[in-house]
Amino acid sequence: MRSNPAEFEMVAPADLPSALSLLTAAGERWTPIAGGTDLMVQYAAGHLHARRLMSIARLPELRRVEVLADEIQIGAGATYTDLRGNETIARELPLLAQAAGWVGCISNQNRGTIGGNIVNASPAGDSLPALLAYGAELILVSARGERRVPYGKFHTGYKKMELAEDELIRAVCVPRKFAGYLQHARKIGTRNAQAVSKIALAALARMENGAVADVRISLGSVAPVPMRLAATEGFLAGKSLDADLIAGAAKMAAGEVKPIDDIRSTARYRAAVVGNLVAEFLERLLAQPEANGTVLARWNALEAGEAAGEILACCGSRAWAREMAARRPLADETAVLAASDAVCASLRDEDWLEAFRAHPRIGEKKAEAAAPKQSAAWSAQEQSAASAADEKTKAALAEGNREYERRFGRIFIVCATGKTSAEILAILRKRLQNDAVTELRESAEEQRQIAQLRLKKWLRA
Amino acid sequence: MTKRGATKRDITFTVNGERKTVCAFPMERLLDVLREQLGLTGTKEGCGEGECGACSVFMDGVLVDSCLVPVLQAEGASVVTIEGLGADARARAVQDAFLEYGGAQCGICTPGMVLAAVHLLRAKSAPTMDEIREGLAGNLCRCTGYLQILEAVAAAARKSAGQG
Repeated sequence: MRSNPAEFEMVAPADLPSALSLLTAAGERWTPIAGGTDLMVQYAAGHLHARRLMSIARLPELRRVEVLADEIQIGAGATYTDLRGNETIARELPLLAQAAGWVGCISNQNRGTIGGNIVNASPAGDSLPALLAYGAELILVSARGERRVPYGKFHTGYKKMELAEDELIRAVCVPRKFAGYLQHARKIGTRNAQAVSKIALAALARMENGAVADVRISLGSVAPVPMRLAATEGFLAGKSLDADLIAGAAKMAAGEVKPIDDIRSTARYRAAVVGNLVAEFLERLLAQPEANGTVLARWNALEAGEAAGEILACCGSRAWAREMAARRPLADETAVLAASDAVCASLRDEDWLEAFRAHPRIGEKKAEAAAPKQSAAWSAQEQSAASAADEKTKAALAEGNREYERRFGRIFIVCATGKTSAEILAILRKRLQNDAVTELRESAEEQRQIAQLRLKKWLRA
Repeated sequence: MTKRGATKRDITFTVNGERKTVCAFPMERLLDVLREQLGLTGTKEGCGEGECGACSVFMDGVLVDSCLVPVLQAEGASVVTIEGLGADARARAVQDAFLEYGGAQCGICTPGMVLAAVHLLRAKSAPTMDEIREGLAGNLCRCTGYLQILEAVAAAARKSAGQG
């Protein structure tokens, strides 16, 4: 039964180019092996057809996880343990992190790779429903070059896939746009560990005003390849979520899957449980709409340009707004405030000057530059203590402002929230003594504080 | 299937701190090389397919099933078997607790159980019972019924924490 090691050749190329050139060698067919959690099981049982194996377990090019502005690129050689231990994946792609924890047991997770899970092409592959739900793409590489294939088009039938003999999966790319989504994953198996799934679900959805704005439901082990429930998703889209809608979606989902009877379960059981799992997901969505309805969740999900435009009201530098948008998704208020401070530290003088121009003079209503409506409203609030001043102080402030502008060529910036006009006047007179470099630095610090206060107001709106 | 003559070759790796060179077919299992060439029979064979954990070893500090590792993939690695755990204080605490709580009976699963427990405690010094269950879920035992083993690991964690 057991295979005879004398009948198997094996090589371990040192880097990716060497591996790819072996895959193109005429007349030889090398089968890649990474963690061996599938192939070595076949080998042990005497069922491994491949006789020439190429170890790719240690190719450094395949193990990296790169966090880019709009996607996370996970090297195909990343192990399930790597996925579970990566903070960005745990935070932004919890469906994938959870699925990695479903695989076999700790020792299997230490060896098995996400690329291996994909090419093994089992309909029960634990990570696959998550990849499908996220709309992941695969980067395939060969000596001929690279190409990107949506994961949803990669598995074309039972154990069939869109992968040429000379190609390897180099990376799995998952978009970073699900911060405002409720994410829900469930595996049904005979036990928590070491069980092939009877059914696995990965689903996520975003709500808007009580209606389902975007929903993605994927399932494993219910068809020859992992499947998205396109009909059920279409049925839910745009409708307001309630008990009747959930019941309808559950029924539709149970009818949409194409399960079979096998040693692990029956088709009837699988279809019934699919309906229950979809209902469970939607009930959670109904119960936690606030998790999806926050300002931050909505902003995290916007297109970059829109996100920058909205946050510009908090600080009028376009460079600041662009960089804030690029740092999304941001997890919470603390992360937003920290991001703002970090971005402020990188701004150039002209960025600061642009931010200053979005403020009206203390005691006036209209900014020099066209400021967003929200910015003007906040300016009025911030300066409310100052505007309650007596006529004499008002006149002194107006005169101080003019002197400041003559001296520095721009308006006087101060974080006015909570300060009386007398206090502001004292600060203004002191700052008039500054040299230009010091004054720019102090103005920038005031602007940074204003941004912090406005970000808090914006998030709590 | 035609038989093709793969050739044996020298493969060097570190075992329990000592550099070893074995002459083996590259697809021989690390498990067999450890037991048959290096005489390290503390590593057991159970299922031979990565489900039972009896063949657990550390490879570069990480828990793996040696039945699933072609020996060529261990080239240059640092392998630690149950025999090499002796001086490790945490392993000592786990072994003592296994004795005290009746965590070992026939002994086939015990080396793998101890390695899985040490691997868990290195990452989480004060694991919850759920974390202990997860950490040992890849190791099967047909004697104890598991509870004694889980309690032994919890006790070892408490003891190590007290010393730490």
